[in-house]
Amino acid sequence: MAVISLKKVLSGERASEAVNGILASLGVPIGILDAAGTLLAGKPGDGSSKKYPIELSGDVIGWAVGTEEARSVAVLVSHLAQQHLDRKALAQETLDGYKEISLLYNFVDKIALCLNLNEVAKLVIDETRKNIRSSNASVMLLNQRTRNLEIIAASGREHSPKMTLKPGVGIGIAGTVFFSGRAEIVNNVATDSRYIKGTNKVGSMMCAPLKTRDKVIGVINVSSEEPVGYTAANLKLLHMLTAQAALVIENAVFHENKLKEERIKSNLERYVSPQVVKAIMDSKENIVFTPAKRNITVLFSDIRNFTTTCEQQPPEKIVEYLNEYFTHMVDVIFTHGGTLNKFVGDMIFAFFGAPGPSDNNEKRAIESAIAMQKRIKAVPSVWIQNNFLTGIGINSGDVVVGNIGSPHHMDYTAIGDEVNTGSRLQSMAKGGQILVSRSAYEATKDLFPFKEIGSVQVKGKNKSVEVFEVLY
Amino acid sequence: MAKILIVDDEPHIRLLLEQALEELEDKGVELLTAENGERALEAVKREKPELVFLDVMMPKMNGFDVCRAVKDDPATKGVTIIMLTAKGQEFDRQKGDEVGAELYMTKPFDPDEIVAKAFEVLKLSR
Repeated sequence: MAVISLKKVLSGERASEAVNGILASLGVPIGILDAAGTLLAGKPGDGSSKKYPIELSGDVIGWAVGTEEARSVAVLVSHLAQQHLDRKALAQETLDGYKEISLLYNFVDKIALCLNLNEVAKLVIDETRKNIRSSNASVMLLNQRTRNLEIIAASGREHSPKMTLKPGVGIGIAGTVFFSGRAEIVNNVATDSRYIKGTNKVGSMMCAPLKTRDKVIGVINVSSEEPVGYTAANLKLLHMLTAQAALVIENAVFHENKLKEERIKSNLERYVSPQVVKAIMDSKENIVFTPAKRNITVLFSDIRNFTTTCEQQPPEKIVEYLNEYFTHMVDVIFTHGGTLNKFVGDMIFAFFGAPGPSDNNEKRAIESAIAMQKRIKAVPSVWIQNNFLTGIGINSGDVVVGNIGSPHHMDYTAIGDEVNTGSRLQSMAKGGQILVSRSAYEATKDLFPFKEIGSVQVKGKNKSVEVFEVLY
Repeated sequence: MAKILIVDDEPHIRLLLEQALEELEDKGVELLTAENGERALEAVKREKPELVFLDVMMPKMNGFDVCRAVKDDPATKGVTIIMLTAKGQEFDRQKGDEVGAELYMTKPFDPDEIVAKAFEVLKLSR
């Protein structure tokens, strides 16, 4: 606060009225001078005058000069100065409050509708740095997967956006604040044992938690290269900004997750039933599309003598029949929790065990195959019932499952030797037949009646494959 | 010495503006206040301030009328007038332009913006 000038004190309407009134009523020569000796009011009289100090908080801010009565005038003016100072102090406090409201008002106005996480974080940093003296500022959020605090936005002379920190009591200042949920000022970072040295030079810092209704989601760091005395008022301001920022950041994170979920969902819906999509989304597990080895059961189904059968029908009729047929088959596969991989001509490739439920894969695949054979005999179109005779092959084992393709076209699919064996089994099956490998048989031999066909040498394979037929 | 006149019927707003502009006082700028439109017009004529922060909603004579009177008088029309009013009243902004106000700021005003504007109008450097 600026030093109070006596001139300012006396320039107030009421103060000047009071002083001039007193000076006039006393009727003796009294002058009021400022500390530098400039006459502000009245007349000091001749050289024999006495000088009485006008004081404010122990400092002499002026003089009342004149007769003995000037002593009382000095006391009165001192009192007026004190009053002026009190009024200013109150006004400053109100102004500070008003500034805070104005800051918050503008801040909320800027960030409230922002749904982009990086944009919000950047705005938060800009506003923080505009209002708090600092050389660096950063927003750190907890990565839900790694449980590390990661910098998502930073600004300043230097910053290390890749920095991560495992939060915990005593592990880094940010880590401690994240854990305790209490904002801190550390004015001498060098002597703080929790401090973990990064690439930034940090003399003093403040750190405040980003708190939402029920948890801490991250922290905001503000630091200065040179040691500065951050005050409780600075921390209060940071706290105020983080309180608002946390809600908006939480909102943006939620929005981003929702978008990601939507992308995964629309991708998944191409392959599995909406129920499986929901189950996968609800499971909270990380959905991995990256190709990885998994034990699954593959199912191939193909219409026997399709080309010959179709020769008697116009192409548009064939498309109509195929669409009806596929619709029913996909329905059966989805009902059994299977994943539709692709249609190749009239062939269907499906698998069980990824990305949806991975229990009883062989059982579900065989049940699905039986249901598919039965469904063909129950579709409304008699032509389909009589002409679409399908052979189904089933095999289980370790294959690579995931998104495979070029960046322009990716498909969620399965590849591997066991997949090829499944396909070969299908090509061996006659219309209405379901053939399975030993692995599928072993897993389900107590559940279905089987007929052992024997070892068969399959095309393109050195080892023979043991084949079993499912009786239904 | 440059002068700034603060006009608002609410004493706490006058006090707030005065306090916000204290920095300019240190540069020798004199801060004057008026609590209504009539007093404001008298002060403009008498003191010839360079800048007036003028509230719109005031009893007796509102800010628009004060502004028009100041701008109509050849002796005072050079005074820069910044109107202050409640946020969102677009109608006021239009009216402010009509009566010749240089700028229009909304309440709650940003104290830092007020100070920056005052420095700019008075061509002072911080």
